[in-house]
Amino acid sequence: MAIIGKRLVNQVKTTGLKATVAQRADETFQRLTTGLSWDDVRGILRGDPPPKPNPRVKPHTEGFWFHIRPTFYHEATTTLYPTFRLGLLSALFFAIEIITGIYLMIFYTPSPERAYSSMIDIITNVPFGMFVRDLHRLGAEVMVVVVTLHMLRTFITGSYKKPRQFTWFTGVVLLIMTLGLSFSGYLLPWDQLAFWAVTIGTSMADAAPGVGPTVNLLLRGAPDIGAGGLLRFYLLHVVLLPFIGIVFLAVHYYKVVRWGISLPPEMEAVGEDSARKVSPDKRVNFLPDIATNEIMYIAIAMAILAISCATWYRAPLETHSNPLVTPNHTVAPWYFYWLQGLLKIPHIIPFLPADIANGIDKFFANVIGITPKVLWGIIVGPLVFVVLAVVPYVDPNPSRRYGQRKIMLTIGGLFTALILYLSLAGIPTGVPITGFGFVGGAPSAEIGQEFMPDEGDGNLMRIPFDQMVVGDYQVTADANVANAPELNAIIKELYYDMQRRMNTADPNGRKLSADTVAQVKIAEIQPDLKQITLVINYTDDQTSAAQEFSKFKFIHRDSEH
Amino acid sequence: MSIIKKIVTFKPGFNLRVIVGLISVVGFLSACAIVGLGDLSKALGAQDAKYTARSIEAGAKVYFEQCARCHGADGKGIDSQGPALNSIAFLGKTDAGREVQKSQRILDIGWVGNLDSYIRAVTTSGIPLKSSNQWEVIHPAFGQAVGGNLRDDQITDVSRFILNWAQNPATSGTIDSPKPGAAFVPKPTSAPLTPEQEAGKAVFLKNGCNACHAIKGVAQGNIGPNLSAIGTDAAAIITAADYKASQGKATTVEEFINESITAPGVYIAAKCPTGACPANVMPPNFKTTIPDADIKSLVAYLVSLK
Repeated sequence: MAIIGKRLVNQVKTTGLKATVAQRADETFQRLTTGLSWDDVRGILRGDPPPKPNPRVKPHTEGFWFHIRPTFYHEATTTLYPTFRLGLLSALFFAIEIITGIYLMIFYTPSPERAYSSMIDIITNVPFGMFVRDLHRLGAEVMVVVVTLHMLRTFITGSYKKPRQFTWFTGVVLLIMTLGLSFSGYLLPWDQLAFWAVTIGTSMADAAPGVGPTVNLLLRGAPDIGAGGLLRFYLLHVVLLPFIGIVFLAVHYYKVVRWGISLPPEMEAVGEDSARKVSPDKRVNFLPDIATNEIMYIAIAMAILAISCATWYRAPLETHSNPLVTPNHTVAPWYFYWLQGLLKIPHIIPFLPADIANGIDKFFANVIGITPKVLWGIIVGPLVFVVLAVVPYVDPNPSRRYGQRKIMLTIGGLFTALILYLSLAGIPTGVPITGFGFVGGAPSAEIGQEFMPDEGDGNLMRIPFDQMVVGDYQVTADANVANAPELNAIIKELYYDMQRRMNTADPNGRKLSADTVAQVKIAEIQPDLKQITLVINYTDDQTSAAQEFSKFKFIHRDSEH
Repeated sequence: MSIIKKIVTFKPGFNLRVIVGLISVVGFLSACAIVGLGDLSKALGAQDAKYTARSIEAGAKVYFEQCARCHGADGKGIDSQGPALNSIAFLGKTDAGREVQKSQRILDIGWVGNLDSYIRAVTTSGIPLKSSNQWEVIHPAFGQAVGGNLRDDQITDVSRFILNWAQNPATSGTIDSPKPGAAFVPKPTSAPLTPEQEAGKAVFLKNGCNACHAIKGVAQGNIGPNLSAIGTDAAAIITAADYKASQGKATTVEEFINESITAPGVYIAAKCPTGACPANVMPPNFKTTIPDADIKSLVAYLVSLK
């Protein structure tokens, strides 16, 4: 106290109180901004041109956070094109996931007895719980989209070529981490959607030749998914994958800064990388221009995310997981639809005449021990990532210009189209027109699944509670229940759906018989609880016997289907 | 192309960045504020009501799969199988969430907790002792911890479903448990079965008739008609108009029961536990699969059920 006091007192004596306060305040300010004095900051905010020597680069040598950012960008990389800011957005969404994830971690329990009820607790009992959970879920899905678009952009602009091959490689590793994080998080709500999607995914690992069963056991901790599997997926999701992700993100970002952001291809000579050689008149300094640009993009992204979660977006929570009941039309998460589509490829070599294809399948099964599912799902599936990773190492073309890369761009376009096609095939409705990947049973069961799905909501469940008037109703085109316009509309919709299935066969060739009649029955079970039953009487198209299909659901007034 | 080029090469100036950024931050904070204010006032409550409602729906599913066969589809109990749950004596009455009348049952038995904990305790662990001979069966233990097939959350769901009746519990037509310590009236013991009737009872159980038919104290099927008093019921059926109109040819009780076993499609009984009796469910080939002597003793047993 005495030491500080003496110097301070001397300074006040020599220069006066006001000057001392000003000097001390400025010194503190410079420490907080890692090198910018108060006047420098005022100059930035006023929009002054930078003085010479430029004090705005000092934080880049003195501060940690600024030292990992570049001091300046080439002017041509600061517009929307060529990067579309996708790398920044990818990192931003990773940060959003970490922050919202930590908040959710406080309230979530990774044990089969408590996981589902902790989810309901978060949604119903934790302040901002549902909001943060929706942010986390929507953020994860948007992150997968953004990361994929970032990869697509880098491919299209040829930015993976020399000297940035290793950056691309670490990027593919980050893609795998992103998909792994999304998949491991998918299981945690422990509802039917989560449980069965992950059971399908890990069963695929089980089917891999050789190491498959061991990998499956490592992931699940037991032959079936239970307490061991949930805890392991949780630890993957919050410890191992984020750790590996952060390490590879650090490497990836270091490489990005070290080589600089690649210029638009048309601006460089072929084979040359001039991203770091920027003449002073083409430089855009990080402070203030790039920094404010980034803050603006971050603000826009967060606003869109938050407004979406506050309005239309709701993360789903289906019924409690049940190992004994597989819901109809169980699917993988949407970013793995392409894998599910791969699994549906029927032959080792498709598009051949049936008997030749079957012969080849038998040969492969008996002699080599590989079925089409193993080949396409378990061998080709992971191979996709290997192919992506080696792209820069096998590409011989030194040019980044679009006109000189026609072959590579065509291959990339075909690859993307194939992934999209396989993704459509992965959905139970299959690819439109060709019908590849269609999975469906009897048309009556499909109607039941469409209007009253095993999990999730269908139109028969969405009728407002008061319009579910108790009674039995024939399904006809002119349903006319008093005071129930929605009920009438849905009954008519059912009727036209039935007509459509009578006239057009589904991709498996099945049609609803022309003599089909259906009824919707509504009964009151308890105060505020009704039972809605769909009964379809039809003639089976395969056995020609009269059959009755019946499915019911209980609907409560407050359940918001 | 030049419009697209203009868009993708657009570089916002400093002021524009600040304005757009500020508007976005305001939008973000507004979204958080809307959520926060909503949470404070009613949103959390609405979500709570939604998930409680879904719990009741799931509980309904469990109830109709596991409980309705003894407690009845309407919850009013089934004679000798299970007491009424949808009864003002069991549930008391609630009005808009407030308890208006307490459950008499838990007061009678001296249960220390509330009705919800009682329902969950019984569902999880069963009732191991028969406290009166009103119920022919003991309450099974459904909790997974004691070997049953219901998870804890399913037991919570079914408890919520049962308690949902308390808004408007039934006041008549319910089969309620007797008060503990009520004067014990021994039921008249039925006459012991003759050896042939005993053999017939063994045939009944051996051939799986108990899967669909109920007989008090012997079987609990609830698909086909209840046979606990078929000896007297059959006498009424063969004189009824709908039997005479059918293809049935029986004139005595023995003939009717024999015909019902060997040619079940000839006459479909009117009333079954779950509604109308389904046709084409009873196997039509018992005449060939069960030896004639067995059918004879089975008929003798069924005739004795009065």
